[in-house]
Amino acid sequence: MNRIGHVCKEIFRNLYRNPGTSLSAVLSMTLLLLLFDIFWIAADTSDKFYEDYLSDLQMEIFISEDYPDSSITIIKDEIKKIDAISSLVFISKESARNELTDLVGIDLLVGYDSSNPLPQSFILTFQNDFINSTDLTEIENRILSQKGVSNVYYSKNWLAKAESTKNIIADIGLFLGILILLTVLVSSANNMRLTAKTRAIGFSQMRLLGAGKLLLAMPFIIEGVFMGALSAGIGWGIIFYWKEKIQFTSFEIVFPTLEEIGFYCLAAGILGLISGYVGIRRALRL
Amino acid sequence: MSDKTIIELSNVYLKTDRGHEVFKDLNLKLLSGESAIIYGAAGSGKSTLIELLVGRRFADAGSVELFGSLMQKNKKRIIKSVRRKTGGIGGLFTLVPSYTVSENITLPLVLSGERKKVQKERLMKMLTEFSLLKQASVYPDKLTRVENTLVQFARANVAHQPLILIDEPLAGLDLKTYDRIYEYMSKLAVSGLSLVIVSSEELKNKLPNTSSYHLINGSLA
Repeated sequence: MNRIGHVCKEIFRNLYRNPGTSLSAVLSMTLLLLLFDIFWIAADTSDKFYEDYLSDLQMEIFISEDYPDSSITIIKDEIKKIDAISSLVFISKESARNELTDLVGIDLLVGYDSSNPLPQSFILTFQNDFINSTDLTEIENRILSQKGVSNVYYSKNWLAKAESTKNIIADIGLFLGILILLTVLVSSANNMRLTAKTRAIGFSQMRLLGAGKLLLAMPFIIEGVFMGALSAGIGWGIIFYWKEKIQFTSFEIVFPTLEEIGFYCLAAGILGLISGYVGIRRALRL
Repeated sequence: MSDKTIIELSNVYLKTDRGHEVFKDLNLKLLSGESAIIYGAAGSGKSTLIELLVGRRFADAGSVELFGSLMQKNKKRIIKSVRRKTGGIGGLFTLVPSYTVSENITLPLVLSGERKKVQKERLMKMLTEFSLLKQASVYPDKLTRVENTLVQFARANVAHQPLILIDEPLAGLDLKTYDRIYEYMSKLAVSGLSLVIVSSEELKNKLPNTSSYHLINGSLA
């Protein structure tokens, strides 16, 4: 048996000799990573919901009464120069009146037949990347500085609150993510340490016979990688099994792509690698 | 130090963490093919000497050289290389509990990267020579003490390591087993290897090609 054969045999020996420890390690990692997966899906879904909702956000730009109609194109051209805009619609006094009539009926507008008090306006929509407080405030200020613009309106307060909520969710997600990953790391490292402890005499003898650290650590590191990736894979397997059975009609649940899941399993494998090494490190002293 | 010097201890001083002086002025030189048996009372530092030789402990003063290399705590590569050239029986050296007799015996060959075919040949030779064929797939916890010692002898022999350290090889053995182990040690002593044997009791017969020392008051007499 060569050294590679020895390492391979050791991996299976670990699993065979300590099936309880290995199973509990995989189960606890699966559970924790599953929690992380669920939070990931929830965060992506709420992000999508938030973005869909925000994509409807509009900005209204009101033109001063005394601004000449012939110069409105100057304002329009200036607004068009803003990169963030995805659509620009001009609402004339007449169109505004018609829209208001549609909304409130004709009775309330009696007496305003000859004089229309409604201002002319533009309605803007934006590309998703620019729908945030910072960019919209900047756009608002730029438009307000235009001659002939009397007022700019959009759901400024609502946007600030939505952003604040989104940031809180992101902070909780980050905290939860770090907590779960740390728990996975500590828990699996501890499992490895327990396994290594049961074989302390063997390690000591192998070190005395001149075994290198890498040779002793490699089976644990590979086992860690395998367990990490397997736990992550099982977690997603469970989720995709239930995905087929649960359907929501009111909103779309956003799942990560297969590529993202692949990277995630790889990351879990790396986490397992670290925990495998951390678990065995003490047993490798000379 | 000549190329053929296996061990050279010069003015070794070592004290324990609690201040007890284990070695005060320890000197020993062993050439290739020469062996030494070191007697000493319990607590005289016999096993500590073995620890010094395998790099488990390091001298506070003086020098410990094996195979021409100075044993120092930060020289891990040298320690590993010395250990690969050194077999061990008894004391510090035990069998790996999770390995069968065969796996224990071939372990030094696996660690030195020996080919599978060579491993098999040498294993068969050792199992036959030490009458361990029936125990080949047995785990150490199922072996008798004598069988355990024999497996350690086989493991120390299998890789033709030039130095073998033996700690209390004959303590508490019955006459028949004593003779058997003595016979193996005699064979090893004339085979061109170097042995360092530490023992609390004197051997009934002198081993061939072997110098005797008495470890007393931290130095060899």
